[in-house]
Amino acid sequence: MGPHGSLVSVVAVGLSDYLPILLMAVLAIVFAVASLGASALLRPRRPNRPKLSAYESGNDPVRLPGGERFSVKFYVVAMLFIIFDIETIFLFPWAVTFRQLGLFGLIEMAIFIALVFVAYVYIWKKGGLDWSATPPELMDDEDSDEPAAAGEVSLGAR
Amino acid sequence: MIRLPFVLLFSAFLFSAGVYGVLARRNAVMVLMAIELMLNAVNVNLVAFSSSLHDVGGQIFALFVIAVAAAEVGIGLAIVILLFRNRASINVDEVNLLKW
Amino acid sequence: MIGQAVLPTPELVFEPLLPELVLVVFAMAGLLYEALAKRTEAVVHLSIGLVGVVLAGGTSLWLWDWDGPATVLGDAVSADRFAVLARLLLLVVAALGLLLGHQYFARSGDEQRGEFTPLLLFATSGMTLIVASADLILTFLALEILSLALYVLTGLTGRRAANEAAMKYFLLGAFSSAFFLYGVAMAYGATGTTKIAAMALALTGTGEAQALAVLGFALLAVGFAFKVSAAPFHMWTPDVYQGAPTPITAFMSAATKVAAFGALIRVLDVAFQALAWDWAPVVWGLAAASVVIGSILAIAQTNVKRMLAYSSIAHAGFILTGLTAAGSAGIRAAMFYLVAYAAMTVGAFGTVMVVSGRGEKRTRIGDYTGLARTNPIAAALMTLFLLSLAGIPPTAGFIAKVNVFSAAIDAGYWVLALIGVVTSVAAAFFYLRVIVLMYMQEPEPAAPSLTEKVGIGAENSATAILAIPAAATLLLGVFPGVIVGIIRDASVLRW
Repeated sequence: MGPHGSLVSVVAVGLSDYLPILLMAVLAIVFAVASLGASALLRPRRPNRPKLSAYESGNDPVRLPGGERFSVKFYVVAMLFIIFDIETIFLFPWAVTFRQLGLFGLIEMAIFIALVFVAYVYIWKKGGLDWSATPPELMDDEDSDEPAAAGEVSLGAR
Repeated sequence: MIRLPFVLLFSAFLFSAGVYGVLARRNAVMVLMAIELMLNAVNVNLVAFSSSLHDVGGQIFALFVIAVAAAEVGIGLAIVILLFRNRASINVDEVNLLKW
Repeated sequence: MIGQAVLPTPELVFEPLLPELVLVVFAMAGLLYEALAKRTEAVVHLSIGLVGVVLAGGTSLWLWDWDGPATVLGDAVSADRFAVLARLLLLVVAALGLLLGHQYFARSGDEQRGEFTPLLLFATSGMTLIVASADLILTFLALEILSLALYVLTGLTGRRAANEAAMKYFLLGAFSSAFFLYGVAMAYGATGTTKIAAMALALTGTGEAQALAVLGFALLAVGFAFKVSAAPFHMWTPDVYQGAPTPITAFMSAATKVAAFGALIRVLDVAFQALAWDWAPVVWGLAAASVVIGSILAIAQTNVKRMLAYSSIAHAGFILTGLTAAGSAGIRAAMFYLVAYAAMTVGAFGTVMVVSGRGEKRTRIGDYTGLARTNPIAAALMTLFLLSLAGIPPTAGFIAKVNVFSAAIDAGYWVLALIGVVTSVAAAFFYLRVIVLMYMQEPEPAAPSLTEKVGIGAENSATAILAIPAAATLLLGVFPGVIVGIIRDASVLRW
């Protein structure tokens, strides 16, 4: 990245590399606008209540003070999903190079999977995966200074 | 071939946007997202250095950062949910029991 | 076509990592017990934790005479005596934290949390890992392990204050982690490696990448300054220390400092040793700001936990004062200070826990009025720890302060030492104020005696735990020689 030639030419050469990205961005915008526009022009408009609700899976969203509408349950599922989902980024490179890594890779992965598995058992037993259950502490309303459950993450809609 | 300084500038811009978000946003979830933006800016930086140095270490580091960021989101959301249950508000301004 | 050749993998030398492995195994055992047992007993949790900590301590001790390679597992984990000593200190603090936490949950009226022991063990494993880390990737991961566990521990009781403290700690902690990470990325770009030994070699040359390395160090310093709560990155400390359950405050105020300073020492004195002229002014500035801000703001506090939090900021400054001396002179002074500080801060917060009673109702400084009448043992313990925090002989705090000031003067930073001495004198005021309240004034007529509130048994067992830090505070003050030889052996970093 030393100074070869004038700054302008460096910038120009550098920028020309970005042309494909620019084209891609333009195409993406055109496609999005065109498809949304076309469907807005062509579709029939018959709104009803289930169609307009935030989630079509039948869960009534909780109203937040800020005006956003969503069920707190989704936070919990998102949380658990993210954590277990991300673990695969370590499994994948290992799976690809399984033979070359040999014993070292096997031992490291065994430790890793054991850790994840213990976490899974813990969440399962604590009811974190239970969609229908509404923990009793959520039934009563805000109690100002009383301790609320902190450890487990199982939550239900009110 | 994309030149290293452009990528570093891009990552510095992303990082600064994240810093701005943390300082300016009042909603805890938004602050959390801004922090994630900062971490991802660092990831861009790491991968750029990794590619220019021809050293795979930076990319491995980026994988770890992604995993750590996910763990952070998990903890962060749990704390925010608990706060919401206690206060029915997730605005950092309204968190005022302790002197800020 | 992917070749089938065997990829280079590090040799499987797991021994220097044994303390962490033991801690993690016991933490998982605690989690499984909590998840699978029909009815959980607090005593079982405590035993799991204590056995884990003791076993980890045993393996650490065994590593003192480790004669294998200086770094193992692809140069990521260091096996030197510095790591062993720092680990032992951390494990002692963790054991005290477990015992105090057991007492706290048994009597505070909060629901027992089975997650307390596993989380504390996870936090400890991150702390012991960070002091042994010889690779900035591992340093970052260990920092996150300990931070994430501490965020949850802070909010563990679910009280509103604890909950808010957890959120503040989390948001600011994650923010500072991002800066730390950006610093690591810059250092990686400057040197082409994340291993601190290789980084040191890369920076000794006349490299043109030094500007990038200095930038990287500045960002790393932000992250470390946050974790050790050095001014001007201290804003979270009073809120978190006040809001967190007191035994957890006791644990994290001592252990986080030991862990973060352990990692900082490796970064300063190995990775960036070639840039000592660049980092010394940064450390100087952080140290001066911390001692001044911590001591001055502590005077205005009305809550004991908050006052001790500001005092902890000032103490971070004193440790940084010692670290301005590069090399093993600075490490010796800082290590001694960390040992002394761990003893006195765990003791002070532990005493606060004993006095505060159910639901942490009594944490105002006014609540200590006439404590010598209502609870003479707690008053005596508090006096000892406060005298040590103020740096008055014959306590550990005095010797520790003498050490860091003389290290700074030997390195030529006598102005910083002067600032430290002046602020120490000013700071003695707010420590002595509490002692005066306890001994020179009559208790408020409404104040019930503590033994009535919690019962003699609980009172005695909590006090018995505090005998350990009290003994350490006195012993190090009267016979500092007992540990000086050990610290001298541990002050040489192998890389």
